[in-house]
Amino acid sequence: MEKIKYEKPVISKITAGIPNKFGLPAKQKIVSAIDGIAVDKLMNEYGSPLFVLSEKAIRETYGEARRAFETRYPKVQFAWSYKTNYLDAVCSIFHDEGSWAEVVSGFEFQKALSLGVNGSQILFNGPEKLEEDLTLAINHNACIHIDHFDELYLLIETTRKLDKKARVAIRINMDTGIYPMWDRFGFNYENGEAWNAINRIMLAENLDLIGLHTHIGTYIMTTSAYAVAASKLSNLYMATHRKFNHWLKYIDLGGGFASKNTLKGAYMPGSETCPSFDDYAEAISNAIISSEIPHENLPVLFLETGRALVDDAGFLLTSVLANKRSTVGRRTMVIDAGVNLLFTSFWYNLGVYPSKEVSEYVEDTTIYGPLCMNIDVIRDAINFPHVKTGDRLVIERVGAYNMTQWMQFITFRPNVVLIDLEGKTHIIRKKEDLGSIQNFELNPKRN
Amino acid sequence: MKIPEEVKISDNGFVFNSKTGDSFSLNPFGLELIKNIQEEREFENLKSAMLEKYDVDDLTFEKDFYEFCALLKHHQIISQDNPLDFK
Repeated sequence: MEKIKYEKPVISKITAGIPNKFGLPAKQKIVSAIDGIAVDKLMNEYGSPLFVLSEKAIRETYGEARRAFETRYPKVQFAWSYKTNYLDAVCSIFHDEGSWAEVVSGFEFQKALSLGVNGSQILFNGPEKLEEDLTLAINHNACIHIDHFDELYLLIETTRKLDKKARVAIRINMDTGIYPMWDRFGFNYENGEAWNAINRIMLAENLDLIGLHTHIGTYIMTTSAYAVAASKLSNLYMATHRKFNHWLKYIDLGGGFASKNTLKGAYMPGSETCPSFDDYAEAISNAIISSEIPHENLPVLFLETGRALVDDAGFLLTSVLANKRSTVGRRTMVIDAGVNLLFTSFWYNLGVYPSKEVSEYVEDTTIYGPLCMNIDVIRDAINFPHVKTGDRLVIERVGAYNMTQWMQFITFRPNVVLIDLEGKTHIIRKKEDLGSIQNFELNPKRN
Repeated sequence: MKIPEEVKISDNGFVFNSKTGDSFSLNPFGLELIKNIQEEREFENLKSAMLEKYDVDDLTFEKDFYEFCALLKHHQIISQDNPLDFK
């Protein structure tokens, strides 16, 4: 006699009076393959946990963003934000698509050079630029985005020592109507500090002011804030021309476009609420085109979009280690990927999905990572079907920041695999082993 | 391990505990197990019958059974004289 399919026994408390705001739960989403390659195949070959990046998704998203801006504004240039994901293979795809490099440290600058990026196509941001970093940037004719007056004077001093000119822009912070207002980077617009900086740079003989830069915040869901920023930069652009008869070359609106991840505490999923590239492009392009800048002198529009370009292309494949019950009877689950790999789990409700058909019974669940640390929580609360030890899960939208902000903590960082456009898989960062960590350690000999 | 009189279980998997006022729903296998517990069937006997009937190995069944019992106990649907006794 054929045996009946087994289903784990479940008892669920019926709670009256708290209706689900989304009505009946939708059918459980299953992610069984990435770009046509089975999750099981990937994990059998490369282990668990495993980061997977889709080249197809990267290029398609980039194409979508570029089309949105290029159909609305005549001169657009993207610069890949290295800190979002600076794996060589990822940066190379963006450079292949035509992106410049946007770096925020000497390390990232060197990485861009090592990938063959021409120094003149590197935007050098950030509050920490040491004299040696500035020297490197000047020698490679990079665009140095000055963050503060001390840096401005260090730069002037460095150009004198080298007897070379530097191409510079200034970073400007401003009130765009969003909270919190980022005022820790750059020169302030409203109190005249930015205008003051422009005047000092225009009078410095070794500095060639070519651009204005702002970065109003991160995960900005209001496109009108970008319109305000673009208008204010356009005002400074015109003011510089009026006073010095000097046309700047570009306006850089930075990054901060939201990805489709859902922020913790958000009422609706990010996929429903985040503006599209078209929405951002419409707001920014309209603001610059309708400013008083003559059309023949429109600046190049630089964009340093990171998160929104790569988040969707990243997946983390993970295995169930254990199912548990808390003292109050709550279901908890332990998986083999923790917050050491998923920095973004601190602010997103990341989407976690089974990789094969599972029980139709879902239960409110807390998902823990494998670290022996209380902070290692991937999801506080998620309606999740019953899965068994060893079952494989897929965490979506992890391409941004996780592979740069991850920590080597308690355990090794896993393989990172790229699926290319032909569906071939490549390890683009090898799993760590004991040697990778101990190679940097020195243990003094004792008698 | 006993199910108190205050707990009523319907044939379609609805459970009402008149002592606490709580109500619950069971999936079909949960209902089958609780009916067997109600009849005070011995664990080993129950296990072999379930392994015969369902496509499950003994360790998975045992693990799930004890987790289920722990939940029943948490919801005061079963009572135990000895909290460590799950036999």
